[in-house]
Amino acid sequence: MKRLVLTRREIPTRGGQPVAFLFGLAFALLVGAILMQVSGDPAIDVYQRMWERSLGSTDTWSVTFNRAVPLALAGLAVSIAATMGLWNIGAEGQILFGATAATLVGRLFPDWPGPVLITAMLIAAVIGGALWALGPGLAKAELGVSEIITTLMLTEVAIRLITYLEQGPWKDPEGFGFPNVTARPPQAELGDLWDRTHIGVLLALAVIGAFAWFINRSVWGYELRIAGSSRQTAAYAGISMRRKVLGVLLLSGAVAGFAGGIELTGTAVRLNAQISNGYGFSGIIVAALALMRPSAIPVVALAFGAVQVGGQSIQTSLGVSPAVSTILQALILFGAIGAAVFSNYRVVALDRQVSVA
Amino acid sequence: MILALTFTEASVIGLLVAGVQFGTLLYLAALGETVAEKSGVLNLGVEGMMATGASVGFIVAVETGSPWAGILAGAAAGALLSLVHAVAAVGLGADQVVSGLALTFLGLGLADFVGDGYTDDARRSLFRDVELPGLDGIPWIGEIVFRHSPVTYGAVLSGIVVWFVLNRTAVGLGLRAAGETAATADAAGHSVLRLRFAAVMVGGAFAGASGAYLTTYLVGSWSQNLTAGRGWIAVALVIFGAWRPGRVALGALLFGFTLALKSRLAVFGIEFSPILLDMTPYLLTVVVLVVISIRARNKPSPAPAAIGIPYRREER
Repeated sequence: MKRLVLTRREIPTRGGQPVAFLFGLAFALLVGAILMQVSGDPAIDVYQRMWERSLGSTDTWSVTFNRAVPLALAGLAVSIAATMGLWNIGAEGQILFGATAATLVGRLFPDWPGPVLITAMLIAAVIGGALWALGPGLAKAELGVSEIITTLMLTEVAIRLITYLEQGPWKDPEGFGFPNVTARPPQAELGDLWDRTHIGVLLALAVIGAFAWFINRSVWGYELRIAGSSRQTAAYAGISMRRKVLGVLLLSGAVAGFAGGIELTGTAVRLNAQISNGYGFSGIIVAALALMRPSAIPVVALAFGAVQVGGQSIQTSLGVSPAVSTILQALILFGAIGAAVFSNYRVVALDRQVSVA
Repeated sequence: MILALTFTEASVIGLLVAGVQFGTLLYLAALGETVAEKSGVLNLGVEGMMATGASVGFIVAVETGSPWAGILAGAAAGALLSLVHAVAAVGLGADQVVSGLALTFLGLGLADFVGDGYTDDARRSLFRDVELPGLDGIPWIGEIVFRHSPVTYGAVLSGIVVWFVLNRTAVGLGLRAAGETAATADAAGHSVLRLRFAAVMVGGAFAGASGAYLTTYLVGSWSQNLTAGRGWIAVALVIFGAWRPGRVALGALLFGFTLALKSRLAVFGIEFSPILLDMTPYLLTVVVLVVISIRARNKPSPAPAAIGIPYRREER
C-alpha cells in the first residue's frame, strides 16, 4: 500500500507562479461558468462579452489600461507594506483620502494653469494618502496595534467623510440639489497618451520602477529587506524597527493616495466614494498573486483590470450580475493558491508501513 | 449643535433595546471568529461569510416563510464558504491573511450574485420577539433584557456553550493547544488539521447565522453591501475581548449601542450629521484597540501563540 504525502521542496520551482496564476485563471473561469450555468446565465456569452469589452478589441484597451493603473498602484502599496511583514488592508481608504486632498487643492486654486494645478493636486494626494496611514502607522510602530484592523476601519471612515462632504460642505451649488461634490477644475485633467489612455499609465509604471530600484539598490531598501526578513539581524545591525514600520506604512499610504490623485485627474470628473471602486481591496489580491514583486504587479493588474472592466459590461448588455467579476477575482487567487502548492511541495508516495511506524 | 435634549423613558429604553439587537449581530460573528482564532486560524473572511449568510438566509426565509430555516441556511452557507478558507489556509498552508481576504471578496460577490433578484423584496422582521414570562414585566430591565428575538437568547446560550466547550472539555483543550503550540497538541494525539478545520467551520456557521439575523430580523430585506463593515468590527471585537467569550460579549454590547445610536439620536432631539455619527463605531474600534494596547504594555499578549502559522507535521 502506498500513501501520497506532500514534502517541501528544498527550493521552490522556478517560474512556478506564472503557471499558478494561469491555473488560477482557468480554475476561476471554470467554477464561474458552473455557477452561471446553474443559475441560468449563459456563461459562454458572458465570457465572450467580457473579453470583447476589455482586451478583445482595441477600442476598449484604453478603459482597461486606465483601470489597471489604480490596481497596480494599490498592489504596489500593499507590497510595500509587506516588505516589513505588514498588511495595508486599508489602501482603499488612503486612495479615497488622497483624492479628497487633491480635490481640496482644486477647490483652493481653481485658476491655476493645468500642469501646475495637476502637479499640486497629485502632491496633495500623496500627502493625503500618507496622512491617512499615519495613525495606523504610529499605532503599529509604538504600540503594536494590528494595522490590519486600523487601516480597514479608516477606510469605512473615509467613505463616510466623502458622503458628508457631498451632502454638506462641498456640495455643488449648481448641482440641482443632487448630493454631488463640485466638479474639479476642467484644466486639471491628465493628458492622453493615445485614445483615452491617460498619462497615469506611465506615472504608475515610473512609481513601480522607482520602488523596485529603491528596494534593491538603496541603503534604506537594503535595511528594509534585512528588517523584514529577520528581526534579530535588524536589531544586531542597529536598525530601528519602529522607524521602519512607520516609514513603510507612510510610503504605502502615499502610493495609494497617489492612485487616488490619478483617478481624480485621469478618469473621474469629481470626487465621490466610488472613485475607488474597491481598488484597494483588489490591490491586495493583485499583490498576493504577484508574490509582492513590483515587476510582476503591472501584469497581474492588467489582467484584473480586464476582469473588472469586462464584468461591468455584462449587466447592461446581458442582465448578468456584475458580482461575477468579484467572484472571479477571488477564485483566481484561490486557484493560484492551490496550484502554488506544487511549486513548493512535491507529491511523494510512501509505504503505509513506514508512515505508521 | 445640540438644540433641546428630550430624554424620555421610552426613547432611552428604545436605544438600549436596539443596542442589544445590534450587539447580537456582532456577538454571533465575533464568537465564531473567537473559536477559529483559538485553534490558531485567523479568518478575515467574516465580512464575506456574513454577507453570504445574509442573502442566502433571507432568500430561504422568504421562500419557506420560516425565519428559522433562514438562520439555519445562513449558518450552513457560512460554514460551506469557510471551507474554502480551511482548505487553502489549513490544508494547503496558504497565508491566512491573503486567503481570508479573498474569502471576503468571494463572499461579498456570491451574496450579490445570489441575492440579485431579491433586492426589492422588503418585509418586516420575520421573527417575533419572545417575552420571557414573569421576567418581561420588570420595569426597564424587562423590556431591555427579556423581550427579544429568539436569536438573541440563542446567542447568549451559544456564548455559554462555547465557553464551556473551550474551557471544560477535552476537545476544547485540544483546540486551544492547536492554537498555542500545534506540535504539542499533535504529540498529545489530537489531529491539529481536523480541529482547525472544525473550528474554521464553526466560525463560518456563526458568521453566516449573524448575517441571516441581519436580513431576517434587524432589516427585513436584502440589499447590496448591507453588512457595511460590521464583519470587520466583529474581527476587532475578538481582540477587544482578549479571545474570551464573556469579554467579547461585553464588547459586542458596547459596539451594539454605538451602532444603534445613529438611528436613535434624532429621537433625543440631538441634531448631528447622521453620516458623521455613522463613523463613530469605526473610529471607536481604532481608539479602543489603541487603549487596549497601552494598557496591555509589558504584559504577555492574550492572542493564541500559533495564530497565523500553518502546521505541517514534517516541520515539527
